[in-house]
Amino acid sequence: MIGLAFMATWLPAAASRQAEGVDGPFQGLYVAAAFAVAFAAGLALAYVMLFRRRDESARGAPAGRPHPLYLGLWTLLAAGLAVYALVAGFPGFLDQTVPPYGAYPVGVTARNDGFDFTYPGGHVADTLHVAVGKPVQLTMTSEDVIHGLSVPAMRVHQAILPGRQATAWFEATLADTFDLRSNIHGGEGAALRTALVSHQPADFDEWLRRVSDIFTGRTLAEAGELLYNREGCKACHTTDGTRLVGPSFKDVYGFEFPTRDGKTVLVDDAYIKESILTPNVSVVAGYEPVMTPYEGKLGDKEIEAITAWLKTLSSKGGAAEEAEPEAEGDPAAGDGQEDK
Amino acid sequence: MSDRTANSPLGGYLSAAVPGGWFATRDHKRIGLMFAAWTTGALLLGLMFGILPMVRSLGGMEDDAGGVLRALTYQRLILVFMFLAPAIPAVLGHFLLPLQLGARNLALPVFSLWSLRLYAAGLVLALASVLAGGVSFGWTMPTPLSLTGDGVFWLLAAGLACSGFSWFLVGVNIIVTVHHHRAPGLGFFRMPLLSWSLYLGAYLLVMSGLILAIIVLYLAGARGTGRGLFGPDADPLLWLNYFWFATRPVVFFALVPAAGVVFDVVAGIGRKAVTGYRMVVGSMIALLALSVVTWGVHLSGYGQAPHLTFVFSVLSLLGAVPVALIAYSLLATLHRGAIACSAPTTFTVAFVLHAGIAAVMGLFLASPALGAYLNTTMFATAQIDYVMWGGVLGAFLAGLHFWWPKMTGRPVNHPVGRFGAFLYLIGVNLAFFPQVIQGVGGAPVDVGALEPGPTGLTEIAALGWLFLVSGLIVAIGNLVGSLWVKEAAGDNPWGACTLEWTTASPPPVDNFAVRPAGGDPYGT
Repeated sequence: MIGLAFMATWLPAAASRQAEGVDGPFQGLYVAAAFAVAFAAGLALAYVMLFRRRDESARGAPAGRPHPLYLGLWTLLAAGLAVYALVAGFPGFLDQTVPPYGAYPVGVTARNDGFDFTYPGGHVADTLHVAVGKPVQLTMTSEDVIHGLSVPAMRVHQAILPGRQATAWFEATLADTFDLRSNIHGGEGAALRTALVSHQPADFDEWLRRVSDIFTGRTLAEAGELLYNREGCKACHTTDGTRLVGPSFKDVYGFEFPTRDGKTVLVDDAYIKESILTPNVSVVAGYEPVMTPYEGKLGDKEIEAITAWLKTLSSKGGAAEEAEPEAEGDPAAGDGQEDK
Repeated sequence: MSDRTANSPLGGYLSAAVPGGWFATRDHKRIGLMFAAWTTGALLLGLMFGILPMVRSLGGMEDDAGGVLRALTYQRLILVFMFLAPAIPAVLGHFLLPLQLGARNLALPVFSLWSLRLYAAGLVLALASVLAGGVSFGWTMPTPLSLTGDGVFWLLAAGLACSGFSWFLVGVNIIVTVHHHRAPGLGFFRMPLLSWSLYLGAYLLVMSGLILAIIVLYLAGARGTGRGLFGPDADPLLWLNYFWFATRPVVFFALVPAAGVVFDVVAGIGRKAVTGYRMVVGSMIALLALSVVTWGVHLSGYGQAPHLTFVFSVLSLLGAVPVALIAYSLLATLHRGAIACSAPTTFTVAFVLHAGIAAVMGLFLASPALGAYLNTTMFATAQIDYVMWGGVLGAFLAGLHFWWPKMTGRPVNHPVGRFGAFLYLIGVNLAFFPQVIQGVGGAPVDVGALEPGPTGLTEIAALGWLFLVSGLIVAIGNLVGSLWVKEAAGDNPWGACTLEWTTASPPPVDNFAVRPAGGDPYGT
């Protein structure tokens, strides 16, 4: 049959452990199916030529019944082909369905303009990086329409649905860069095409350490802003003076506020650190003590970064940020609820 | 009777004065011919929309991705819903069913007329929607993309709904005719296999047609109002489940009548009775029944529960047995026939090859792990192309060439027809086998033509389209050209035994001068 010899090159070079669960049945089925089709079509062609009407008045042989032996063999072969398709595909199916325990979790968010891959440390990348030999489990959702995640080299194809979680997993066996894209049409302008980079385990750890270090290539304040976005602060604190569950971060550094227990606090480095690590000890009046303590979640350097960033949001932050906080804040700015 | 029609006018129903003329006629033969014209129009439109993405792949229209997406969307919608599903029941069913049953007309002539009008309205509305800018969200119209995507959808939805209602009318008409209008003595198991397959497929035409029409209207409603069954709050898989429930059987109720056509053609050109007639009928019933419970194979890899995927796999794979029985019977019927060297013969061989390829591709797609990999690749696109361009179109052309003398009273030029069939056979395989290879390589389903840059395979496929189009031009040109031939075809040029050959060519308005008596379908 066409391409029988080249068939092995149709599949992209296998680069994952479960590829074999797809490639095995594919090659087996291909050989069997090619022979089946070649046999049936060949027989039809042979009969048409062999039993050509030689004499205009000729009639075909009288009606016959199916030959029990040939019919039985023929049907058995077809049933065998179907059973093979089922049985050969079954191990791969189980493998695809059940991710191994302890697989490295990566979150995937698909949108019309691309993928976001979120690593356990919180780092978000637009390409997927994995380590060779370590199973990776993808937990995926879509923010708009149905997309897909497909890495042909890994034999991974999974639809990503809005409002649902889809999972897929694979274990890379080769360190290389592979095509990763959506195989499901997401409308005009959908651009879900990126790369899967598989590293040797040591290189992967090095890569993750490098990209996860939020201080490389960022000023202290920029790192603080990134933490604000990533650590969930923005759910309750705005930066434009609007009041949410907690006070806005606009114009807080260097200002004084009354607390729930009637004291007055000056927002300085020490108060910020206290408010992050043990936020419900000294709460600004008018707010409930409901914030999650970040003790053990953020280190000194991160808090320093957040402080530096809060200074940039405050009219009293000062350009020379290491300067002593000005004492005696403006009493007019006291309630922390002013708009704008 | 045969020499009466020599020297035009064509005679029979074609030139008789009948109430309603052509456009309001209730004569099944005229409606069948008009259906042939309309479905050929749909086929040509699909062909045009199929060639556009090919042009882009080869380097033209680089920056019009949106145009290509629209072309791909309409190519599939028009071909699947306006050619693949209705072509054989609407054209050959309308024309041949009453003749094969020895009846004067279909049981519900008003349904015939309105099925044609709805079909035509559907095609015109679909075209209007193209002219209004078209939509580009793919032929499966998945929510929520189809709720938010740009374009004028209601025109297309109205067109598809008209189409679905037209299937419904055709299906009901066929079922009622078979039950009530068989000639005396023509029991169910004396019907030719074409009549059987049309009758069996008609049940699914009724089911799928209604479901399709209704869900498309619901979808348009949800798009307009932001509420309803398929609205933004619905599970995105709900629509796809409904869609595939209606569409999965299409492939089967198109291929089963295609097989019915080929059986009657083979019996006719080989002057031989069908071997294993009852076995074929049983296999057709089994295949159609399975098609109703296997829609989920299209949703493996979509987050469907794994045990469901497995059940759907098993049910789909069961289909291998009836397909094998039908193939056995077809080959056994060819065996020791007196096979005429004719155009339908070549189309029949093409049908066996293409339907065989489509069937084994089904095994790949239903195999549990492999299916999840291939389902979202061009492999799935190629399978539907093999069913459509290969299987159903091949059988349709075999049938048209075979019954053309009956339809028009004019003989077909067989050497030219065989040349067309040969070009067609080469074309289908060159055009669609590269898609199989690209699909295995991971190219995405439906929109594979948007892959960057031409590969060697794209050029081969383009060459294939060239062959395919040339083959169709030769074949259709040959058929139409035969109308100017001066000699008459004769009432029974094939020496076949089914009832349609016992009347004049072309048949008179009332089909039979004397009501025939039914006997064994293949004269044994």
